[in-house]
Amino acid sequence: MNVYEPYLVTIDDIRDETPDTRTLKLRFKDDRVADSFAFRAGQFGEYSVFGAGECTFCIASSPTRTGYIECSFKAVGKVTNAIRDLNVGDTMGFRGPYGNHFPVDDWEGKRVVFIAGGIALPPVRCVIWNVLDLRSKFADVTIIYGARTVTDLVYKHELAEWGSRPDVTLVTTVDPGGQTPDWKGEIGFVPTIVEKVGPTSDDAVAVVCGPPIMIKYTLPVLDRLGFPPDRIYTTLENRMKCGIGKCGRCNIGPVYVCKDGPVFTAAELSTLPQEY
Amino acid sequence: MSGERFLSTERGERLVADLTLSGVRVYAPVEAQGRTEYGLIKDLREAALGGPLPGMSLKSLFFPPTEPLFRWRQSGSEVALEAVPTTFEPMVILGVRPCDAASLAVLDGVMGWDYKDELWFGRRQAATILTIACPGFDDACFCSAVGLGPDASKGSDLLLVPVEGGYHVEIVSDKGAALVKAHPACFSDPRGRESAEAFRQQARRRVGSNLEIDPHRVRAWLAGHFEDRFFDGLGLRCHGCGACASVCPTCHCFDIVDEPEGLLAGTRRRHWDTCQTGKFTVHASGHNPRADQNPRFRQRVMHKFWIYPAKFGDVLCTGCGRCTRACPAGQNLLEILGQLDRQPQQIPEGMTS
Repeated sequence: MNVYEPYLVTIDDIRDETPDTRTLKLRFKDDRVADSFAFRAGQFGEYSVFGAGECTFCIASSPTRTGYIECSFKAVGKVTNAIRDLNVGDTMGFRGPYGNHFPVDDWEGKRVVFIAGGIALPPVRCVIWNVLDLRSKFADVTIIYGARTVTDLVYKHELAEWGSRPDVTLVTTVDPGGQTPDWKGEIGFVPTIVEKVGPTSDDAVAVVCGPPIMIKYTLPVLDRLGFPPDRIYTTLENRMKCGIGKCGRCNIGPVYVCKDGPVFTAAELSTLPQEY
Repeated sequence: MSGERFLSTERGERLVADLTLSGVRVYAPVEAQGRTEYGLIKDLREAALGGPLPGMSLKSLFFPPTEPLFRWRQSGSEVALEAVPTTFEPMVILGVRPCDAASLAVLDGVMGWDYKDELWFGRRQAATILTIACPGFDDACFCSAVGLGPDASKGSDLLLVPVEGGYHVEIVSDKGAALVKAHPACFSDPRGRESAEAFRQQARRRVGSNLEIDPHRVRAWLAGHFEDRFFDGLGLRCHGCGACASVCPTCHCFDIVDEPEGLLAGTRRRHWDTCQTGKFTVHASGHNPRADQNPRFRQRVMHKFWIYPAKFGDVLCTGCGRCTRACPAGQNLLEILGQLDRQPQQIPEGMTS
């Protein structure tokens, strides 16, 4: 098969997360593909609407849950708006899985701290479920998630589930002014809340994903908490077309985000130019 | 595979006739309307073998400016995909410039990186490259500065060097040997080796005097100076038109777009693209990591002379000089490389910033 030809997938379920963000559950039409398809947490794919084009998102479901994949996207451009126009039962294209992954296996026995902002929860959610589905293999799990407003928090039903689990510490926050009268979570920017929660860096790894400004101010906080840069992971989402290291679009200095990434440690990021 | 033969001008004509008769498409530089470009020929006399460097590189024959990736057809909520062929009819390209032949071998690196681009390799496999050593074209040529030369055989199957009455033929690859073997009446015992050697030396001297740099030194400097004042202002001169990338034999960036044909069918295609345009890197959020022309032009230099060699071993430039000739703003890669080669490798002791 030509590497640019996608698998065909059927939209099995659609869930609105926020007024402009939606999650799709996709099943492979070809049973052989469905049976053999495997991926690792952090990998991404090229999703297509025929007639509109392709778009790059992470796989937002966990590799521990097989038979389908999920993606969450915000309708902002031509392709994402076209995806939004599709209904359950419609056909899309998917190429992937591409890129490297979070080294979840290496984290066994460690504490895992997840920090996400806004629409950056989907790539982290993949890892969260990967860890929670193998819960006994890891020590404390802490999730700190923030969005501009209560409305912008994605996966609200899962936030409720994580919040109710005794083996997960969940802290949600919204930017000042983004709260509703009945908001019970924190109010403040993600870096401030990370500092306030102060997760221990002792035998711990951190997964951080969010807008560049959030990452910029969160990394110094993690540094103060004692997280060394090689135990802080993030995933980059540069513009891509091919996803397989050919089209030349996602370079950051010497790396191709699609092939050498999208997952990088803070130590690796510190060696790269600021072209992301 | 090695070996030498001789191909007379008349036998060259016969070779083209034989190949054409057997259904092989033969391409060569052709002159038309004041331009020279690689084009289809039926008779060697249509070719402009000793003429100017073709304006466009050879890459269009392997990586067309636009090509279908597959077609789709919708019926209700179902979609059927129709594949495009990834095997191609044999073609022989005669009179290829060494800079163009080398670019094919250079691009094999990225096109085969883990995921094999069948459209590229399908055409690569179908093509036999008969390169003719170049006498040096003009003062924008600098193939010898990037480790190649006007007589380099990289990417070629046969290397022909002009000598009296025809060409001294160097067999470079198995594919070249097979072509010689398949046309025994066209090739005769080697002749003119000394005069071929003289041609090659003269061409090397001529091109070599255009630019002398050490690409390893340039690469080492670039690797350590992503943020450097050297690049400030390089973009000021650049219009971001992308002419350099269009004529470049090694620029290979592309876009993937859908072209609907009515509502229920269409073609997904890839088109040439270039890192010199503003939209190339813009994120869905509107954030653009390369916000103005300076980092875009820097990317062109970095990708060719640091990133690609670090990844694939080869400099992503064969020194054809087309970008310098094509640039409407006078951006001159020879000057830029010359300046990069003269950058101090380390800050001398006692000096800061």
